[in-house]
Amino acid sequence: MRTRLPPVIWAAASICALLAVWIGLTWNGSHGPVVQDLFLPGPGELWSGFLDLASSGYKGRPLLVHIGFSLERVLAGFGTGAVVGTVLGLAMGYAPRLDALASPFVEFLRPLPQLAYLVLLIVWFGIGEESKIILLFLAALPVSAVAARAGVRDVSAGRVQVARALGASEWQVFRHVVFPSALSEIFTGARLAIGIVYGTLIAAEIIAGSTGLGWMILDAGRFLRSDYVFVGIVIIGLLGILLDRSLVGIERRVVHWAGK
Amino acid sequence: MSLSAPADATAARTVTAVAGRARGRRESSAYALRAASAIAALLLWYGVTALGLVSADFLPGPAAVLHTFLDILHNGYRGTTLGQDSLATLGRCLGGFAGAVLTGVPLGLCMGLDRRVAAAGNYIVQFMRPLPPLSYLILLILWLGTGNASKVALLYLTAFPIVTSAAMAGVRTVPRQRIQAALSLGARPPQILAYVVLPSALPMIFTGLRIALAAAFSTVVAAELMAASDGLGWMVFSASQFLRTDVIVLGIIVLGLLGMALNWMLVALDAAVVHWRGVE
Repeated sequence: MRTRLPPVIWAAASICALLAVWIGLTWNGSHGPVVQDLFLPGPGELWSGFLDLASSGYKGRPLLVHIGFSLERVLAGFGTGAVVGTVLGLAMGYAPRLDALASPFVEFLRPLPQLAYLVLLIVWFGIGEESKIILLFLAALPVSAVAARAGVRDVSAGRVQVARALGASEWQVFRHVVFPSALSEIFTGARLAIGIVYGTLIAAEIIAGSTGLGWMILDAGRFLRSDYVFVGIVIIGLLGILLDRSLVGIERRVVHWAGK
Repeated sequence: MSLSAPADATAARTVTAVAGRARGRRESSAYALRAASAIAALLLWYGVTALGLVSADFLPGPAAVLHTFLDILHNGYRGTTLGQDSLATLGRCLGGFAGAVLTGVPLGLCMGLDRRVAAAGNYIVQFMRPLPPLSYLILLILWLGTGNASKVALLYLTAFPIVTSAAMAGVRTVPRQRIQAALSLGARPPQILAYVVLPSALPMIFTGLRIALAAAFSTVVAAELMAASDGLGWMVFSASQFLRTDVIVLGIIVLGLLGMALNWMLVALDAAVVHWRGVE
């Protein structure tokens, strides 16, 4: 029987190949690099760009402050939108009438490209923080609402009937049966929502910002500092993964019974 | 037992029929409530604007938006009609999406079937998936210019990791016993792919397609806001610079309806193709 290499080897080989191509394309040999560093900076330039940004910041503000601005907006918009959306969704799952009243708006808002209403929000609230937070609130709300509604609807009717038969009050049924069952769906919605909120925020900062990571890469792009653009993209990617992972971590602690 | 069985069946049928009628009534009353709620919102909009509670610069009334709609439909907004702008947006969106489906689904299937391919490709897909597309639009513009190429590439890259992960996850949900059963019945690998793996993976692939198309639709508008000279996103952005709030509101309504239509289209396709969803 053939010995089979473990998948890790294949992952390592693939990463090495990618690195080799990158270095090959950007190597500054006797004829200069194959690809201008304007288009694709090499690993060395990327690293020095990162050190540059980390030590002296970008346009008068330290790198961490830009990260902080973006993070603060994400958390404010997501926090408010997810909480209000979840409460609304739970209520919609409970009361079919409320569901019928609210769902036209939720269903219209959900597939609507967020940036389209950013323009209107800027006309209404100006270009400052307010319009961005409201934008993110509106981006998180329908996703969370739909998830919470689905969570309530998926609760097995048998479990609710058993609790009622045992004499549980309406509130107890909600507190001990419906809500715990819906939680895992709520968290799925929250993860979806934070991804959308984060993507929307970066777009909003690019289109109408003067601080934050999105603005930083747009501004660096304007000055053709592609090393800063690359560093910015990597930081944005890592921060996105971090946000998602922290939600997964919270979910594991809170919904420890998931899948059981 | 055997005597009461038909009676039971009749009783069960009656119960189902009654429940069905009750559900029917409930559903029609739900539709009425939905319609009432939408109409109430329209009336509120009309009332607020007709009474002059908000300035028309901030929120134009329904009549003004309808007038703008007819005007842009026939005469266009700064040179392009509403139809042309919608087509430009949809064309970019569907172009990038189609490319992602044609490449992402086969790659995802390979990744699901072969752990080595998965190991070699997965980290790229998993890094790209949470990455906000607009962040690399700047690079794409640098590489491909401000024309359509950079936008279609952006939408391709938006949809690709979502579609690929869905296809991979779909393959991994195929029960092992089913593949083994097919193998022991003498099925060959292509047959297993066509008759066992693909049917089991399709529900998840379609879910991925819906998410990917929604993401591409959001992204196309953002990209058009940033760098375009046609398309609905451009129209809305350009209108905001001239404070044409009527055009902005019209654009939002059209985009919302288009987004809903795209989603419905995929839901219908899903229902037609994956008719076995949820049966097993």
